[in-house]
Amino acid sequence: MNERKDDGAQGTFAERAKRHFDQSVANLDGETRSRLNRGRQAALAEASGGRTWAQWAPAAGVAAAAVVAVVMWTGNPPTDELTPLSASADIEILLTEDSFEMLEDLEFYSWIELDEETDETLQPGGHVG
Amino acid sequence: MNACVAGFAVSCRGSRLLKKPARDHTGVSTLQREQELNRFFAEVEGRALRIAEIGVRDRDEALDLVQDAMIKLARKYAERTTAEWTPLFYRILQNGVRDWHRRAAVRNRVMVWFGRGSKDGEDYDVVAAAPDPAGRTPDEQLQSEQAMDSLGTALAALPGRQREAFMMRTFEGLNVAGTAVAMGCSEGSVKTHYSRAVHSLRETLGEHWQ
Repeated sequence: MNERKDDGAQGTFAERAKRHFDQSVANLDGETRSRLNRGRQAALAEASGGRTWAQWAPAAGVAAAAVVAVVMWTGNPPTDELTPLSASADIEILLTEDSFEMLEDLEFYSWIELDEETDETLQPGGHVG
Repeated sequence: MNACVAGFAVSCRGSRLLKKPARDHTGVSTLQREQELNRFFAEVEGRALRIAEIGVRDRDEALDLVQDAMIKLARKYAERTTAEWTPLFYRILQNGVRDWHRRAAVRNRVMVWFGRGSKDGEDYDVVAAAPDPAGRTPDEQLQSEQAMDSLGTALAALPGRQREAFMMRTFEGLNVAGTAVAMGCSEGSVKTHYSRAVHSLRETLGEHWQ
């Protein structure tokens, strides 16, 4: 009996609270309603935008991978390319047996070079001065 | 072999047929789903704002929370049935309110209230100042606003779970099962929280609260 009376009081109280709450919602000012509307549109736009991005994500990933592959395949900028080549050429020269022989006979090659220059200056058609 | 090829052809044709109208697993087209979402948000946003506002006591923060809840629902649960949206939406919103309280506990509360205070009454609101469309006298309107203010203050003083249970059941009209989904707890807990909330509110506001 008491429980039923208590439930009834709870119900009346809840109804009254609901009535005041509904009135407070109905009394929301125009600016707030406008901001709610803008928020709703933004949410819907972002949601549909997100779905579009999700649809395009795999294609975008493949395209990005393709671009990276093409860039790597077609080569690096010229400055980067020259350095390793010249370095490898130096190593090749140093590693050949001839180059060691050349180093051993460095004086001989210097003498030949000097001799050739001397011959050129002595010949009638040579560059003088 | 032929059967296999035929089966593959059928499955390809089937997938094309499914993709063209852009329908989700419930058979509703994307455009129709967006229209339904728009209607749902428009129907629920005013109440959601007031509920969030009672929770955080700040309209700007409440507006942000409602918008965040809308975005999350649209992103993650748009393909659910429309009947599931209300409890899911309020679950997201309540989680947002709880997170807001956690952040606010870390921040300086004084600054939060100062920020709110500075914005009050910045502009004269023509729509708010317009005559009541329900035809109530200014006295009646004022009385209702005061009653709601008292209720809001009393609700804010309640423990969070009791406040949530009361607002979901009374303001949003969710049944016990729906409230349990929105709050992420059992139906028994909803009943307990709700009953305690009503008792506390009646004690705080008094029997003559109108």
